[in-house]
Amino acid sequence: MRSMLAYSFRICFVLAALVAALPASAQDLAPVSDTYAITGATIVPAPGQKIENGTVLVQNGLITGVGKNISIPADAIIIKADSMFVYAGFIDGYSHVGVNPDNSEKKEKVKYPGNPPPGRAGITPQADVRDFINPTDASIAALRAQGFTVSQIVPHGNMLPGQAAVVLLKGEKADQVTISGNTALYSELSGTPGVYPSTIMGVMAKWRELYRQAAQTKNYQALYASNPTGLERPETDRTLEAFYPVIDRRQSVLFKSEKVLEIQHALTLKTDLGLQVILGDLKEGWPIINKIKNSGAKVLLSLDLPAEMKKEDNAEKKSDERKALDKRKADAIASSTSQAAQFAKAGIVFGFSANTVKPADVRPNLMRMIASGLSEETALAALTTTPAQMLGLSNRLGTVENGKIANLIISDAPYFNKKSKIKYVLVEGTLFSVEDRPKADTGKKADVKGSWSYQTETPQGKGDGKLVIKNENGNYSGTITNSFSGKETEVKDLVVSGNNMSFNYTIDVGGNSLKVDVAVTISGDTLEGSMTAGQYGTFPLNGTRDPK
Amino acid sequence: MKSKLTYQVLLLALTLGLTHQSAGQDKGTMLIKNGTVLTITKGTLENTDVLIRDGKISQVGKGLKAPSGAKEIDATGLFVMPGIIDAHSHIGLESINEGTSQVTAEVWQGDAIDPLQMSIYRALAGGCTTSHAMHGSANSIGGQCQTIKHRYGTFLPEELIMQGAPRTIKFALGENPTNHGTRDGLLPQTRMGVEFVIREAFSQAKAYMAEWDKYNKNKTAKGFRGAPPEYSYRLETLGEILKGNIIIHCHSYRADEIYMMLNVCKDFGIKKIVFQHVNEGFKVAPELAAYGAMASVFADWWAYKFEVYYSTAYNATILVRNGVTTSINSDSPDLIRHLYHEAGKTQKYGGLSDDEALSLITINPAKQLGIESRVGSIEVGKEGDITIFKNHPLSIYGVPQYSIVDGIVRFDREKDPADMRLLPDPKAEIDVTLHGQYDEGHDNCLQDVEYLFNDLVGLKN
Repeated sequence: MRSMLAYSFRICFVLAALVAALPASAQDLAPVSDTYAITGATIVPAPGQKIENGTVLVQNGLITGVGKNISIPADAIIIKADSMFVYAGFIDGYSHVGVNPDNSEKKEKVKYPGNPPPGRAGITPQADVRDFINPTDASIAALRAQGFTVSQIVPHGNMLPGQAAVVLLKGEKADQVTISGNTALYSELSGTPGVYPSTIMGVMAKWRELYRQAAQTKNYQALYASNPTGLERPETDRTLEAFYPVIDRRQSVLFKSEKVLEIQHALTLKTDLGLQVILGDLKEGWPIINKIKNSGAKVLLSLDLPAEMKKEDNAEKKSDERKALDKRKADAIASSTSQAAQFAKAGIVFGFSANTVKPADVRPNLMRMIASGLSEETALAALTTTPAQMLGLSNRLGTVENGKIANLIISDAPYFNKKSKIKYVLVEGTLFSVEDRPKADTGKKADVKGSWSYQTETPQGKGDGKLVIKNENGNYSGTITNSFSGKETEVKDLVVSGNNMSFNYTIDVGGNSLKVDVAVTISGDTLEGSMTAGQYGTFPLNGTRDPK
Repeated sequence: MKSKLTYQVLLLALTLGLTHQSAGQDKGTMLIKNGTVLTITKGTLENTDVLIRDGKISQVGKGLKAPSGAKEIDATGLFVMPGIIDAHSHIGLESINEGTSQVTAEVWQGDAIDPLQMSIYRALAGGCTTSHAMHGSANSIGGQCQTIKHRYGTFLPEELIMQGAPRTIKFALGENPTNHGTRDGLLPQTRMGVEFVIREAFSQAKAYMAEWDKYNKNKTAKGFRGAPPEYSYRLETLGEILKGNIIIHCHSYRADEIYMMLNVCKDFGIKKIVFQHVNEGFKVAPELAAYGAMASVFADWWAYKFEVYYSTAYNATILVRNGVTTSINSDSPDLIRHLYHEAGKTQKYGGLSDDEALSLITINPAKQLGIESRVGSIEVGKEGDITIFKNHPLSIYGVPQYSIVDGIVRFDREKDPADMRLLPDPKAEIDVTLHGQYDEGHDNCLQDVEYLFNDLVGLKN
């Protein structure tokens, strides 16, 4: 009851008691009514619009009234939102939120590495992300707490993981939460280690070949369908058939496009094959804005930003070389931060993608973007109306309007005010309260004990493995494995401090030993950080705790 | 909003005469005054000017006037030579080996150009303006290569590509492909196996082309009904080699396998072939010359594996004296910075003339890449790719001062910023001025397939 008291002056007592007992899962009680009236609020129906002291009426998951003189049905649960602000729920243009990895047919050794089964080579364009959804995954609640109500989700994998879908961030079953399936063909232009295609040039060649084979097969199937007499029966091929909507320009290809070269590989395929392309999770688009603009590709900018540089105490004592290096790094951070503003200035319409951002960084990062020149209106559009339009769902999502799906955010101040907090999120009429995050408990060590699955990404592809940590009365020990050698190695110097954990281990590289340093931050059941392998460089590493 | 970095890159670009973003295919106008011009093909001209207009050499002579506003370089006391060309390099590439299959003709290094690599700028600092960005030697028939111009300063891979340069492809004989086959228990495990893999690939390509020819011919006939042959990017590419549209660049060491490859080419009617490394080329020099095959060699680099022990520093001279079009290459981000030293070694070992020695790193590699009508010598009408040396380039005291590509100064020793990175990593914990793995490497013929030899935790090298 402690959190209830804090804002009971804003929300009627009955509702607050009800909210405190809101269903977190099916066994909890459902609310007594599907009708909500949010009253006395400042409503932002769409970017740049405002209704003071208005009411939003929600019935059966739809918005049924927006404005000043809305009559409130008797069965409505009233949310007294005086001094609060109502926005359309945010739309994440692309992420893996709530998507389980598909572990079937991945790691076994193949007899002919040059001609592996398609699934082993990361080629499963016919796979449907809806088969891998876990709507109760903690990552969904975490993103929802930041105001996101809808995501375009994609399967995990390498070259062609499969079909994207647009889903609501709630519910229990895939079909229950799907707004639209097969919304895009998803592709990552990365190879699969050890089998063809393993490199970017292999992936590019394979992409062209698959597309051309699909176009050929499609033509022949059409010829056969029109009159099969005397024609060899064409075999069906589900891998190639998955390209048909792309060939017909009925479906776009969504490419993971973080880096400046990755973006340009996607644009090369766009030009070569005439694809409709969505560039996903752009981080380094700013040096090539003109090229992106001229390509006509749709753009989803990353909500992830590089961290600001730490202020150092002895800054003036640094060498000139150090200062010059720091300046270049600071400039690179500034350019990344102002990317959204630069795109807006260039007249490129963009949405946002939450694929790689930590949910807690969403708002701080948006504030940094705004501080470096992005207008609040454009930022809001990129979170609501623009992605709705890109997904072809403007008639259902993106604004607070009569007849639209009731995806709403209620915040205690204008969202882009520094100290505002999101209090409630409605996803298709289901009310979720957003608890304040508990303050970081300094001095208390994170629980690292147990088995973790981690992934890492190197310049040439991905790796993964298991990390097992033991804790015997504060004495930590552990082992780590990897997908390349399959060997298990002892970890050393394992230190846990607050939410941070670091350790190292040694591997054999052609007879020489190489020390690998790992530093990660634990938050709940996820870990995120980096591994540094001597001169080979530093690579991102993230993982999740294995279920017990 | 102009970001600080854009501004800095712009400043840096201005000092070098580049412009940000569209730097790649820009063409410049400039006058190089009063230098000793080493034309390579038309002798050495003292106190001579070279005028470059819109990226092309428009005049070579005395007392030339620069168009108003054009940049002028006073080359008094300096040596002006064509930009150095490296016929075998792996700089500026994101990946080098699609080594997962013995034949990967369909892959193309043009899809893996990395314009951000500082090795490109370092090559410029060594006077090298053009290189042949090659696939590695993990497989018998590797990927297609790409000739690039070192237009450092652009973020766009396509701006490094030398548009219109002929297509080339990497083949490899000997230990690299056979080691690979042995490990996987697949073809080829012997030198015989390599020959078989190549012959089989060509035979399949021939059959493939015949099938398509037949289908295309029948298709036009009235009432024709039938299925087309299945499209294969790989066989189509191999077919282009048979048609003479792609030059083979074949990694090779031993005389027997070089001769074997000549016979394979003869049997399939392939005329365009350049042998790379070709350490035992001196044993088959007359045969190479008779076939019209060319050779791209190291000056004096050998003994790094068993098949490379029988070697001599006289290799280049013997090949040249037998009439083989010969070049000296780097295959290394280090050697590419001083190919003029490498060329100079042929004067110590074999006594080649200045023009012959310099031809090894200019007009001869240009011929091997099929770009000799455009670069490789200082002649009116050729592209404005020039390197200016203090002291003669074959002298041990020779130091490149300027490297010019298409009439634009891409390296100026006087204005050589400490930090030439185009894109510092904003997330890097430790800031380093290196970019990409290749800069740190040495012999990268087997990059991307190290996993075949090591099990490197989490790195997948």
